[in-house]
Amino acid sequence: MSPRKQPEVWPGHILVGEVTAPFGIDGSLRVLPTTDFPERFVRLREVTVDRLGGVRAVEQARLALPMAVIKLKGVDTRTAAEALRGALLMVPEAALPPLPEGEYYWHQLVGLTVEEVGTGRVLGRIAHVLRTGAPHDVFEVDRPGRKPLLIPALKSVVREVDLGRGVMSVVLLPGLEDVSE
Amino acid sequence: MGRSVKKGPYVDPSLLKKIQAQNAQREKRVIKTWARASTIIPEMVGHTIAVHDGRRHVPIYISEEMVGHKLGEFAPTRTFKGHADKSERSTGMR
Repeated sequence: MSPRKQPEVWPGHILVGEVTAPFGIDGSLRVLPTTDFPERFVRLREVTVDRLGGVRAVEQARLALPMAVIKLKGVDTRTAAEALRGALLMVPEAALPPLPEGEYYWHQLVGLTVEEVGTGRVLGRIAHVLRTGAPHDVFEVDRPGRKPLLIPALKSVVREVDLGRGVMSVVLLPGLEDVSE
Repeated sequence: MGRSVKKGPYVDPSLLKKIQAQNAQREKRVIKTWARASTIIPEMVGHTIAVHDGRRHVPIYISEEMVGHKLGEFAPTRTFKGHADKSERSTGMR
């Protein structure tokens, strides 16, 4: 089975959900939330839909976790809803809720240069953030000519995140580089 | 049927040996293991164990709430690439 392609999110936008199926006969859509804040769907007034080429008003929305059900203005039949199966729902980056200090959105971290504290050695760039099921996430750091380095998102490891400079400073645990070889 | 209480939790013997050796020396070095079926025991708390996911070793910091679970639960064997990194997900340092 080939891995699914990463969906193409519009520049300046963030993916909040993906339409999985029509719901009912009035054009409502069943949506898989791709957000840590699924309750945002209840407050959503408008959303950008890639298949519709722009912003659409949200007439109704409710949560039926793990899914959400929304009704978009202008999508009034099940046939119209069927055509939106697989469509991406996005919001502008500026509309994201602010996070508490020390928390970062994944898109802010992906692409940061990872440097070792003390030596200043550049280890690579963050390619992905992995959600493992453990209380902490894991950063996948791409290294040229070597296997990716996996770094746990721990305070004892990640000492500083400087989004302005695009640098994450880390102290590697003893043996961490060896296990990625 | 669950495992017999008489036997105690299953822990890979070579992993247990490494943990005990590090605890004796008060050392915290990342331990590489393929023993996904090993139960997490209190002696492992505070260590970072790199658990094999079939492709690579995922470093997992063992905390108290993970005791009693299996190591494999924290290193998923399937990577879901369906959702972009540009989704509304956030992370913080724990």
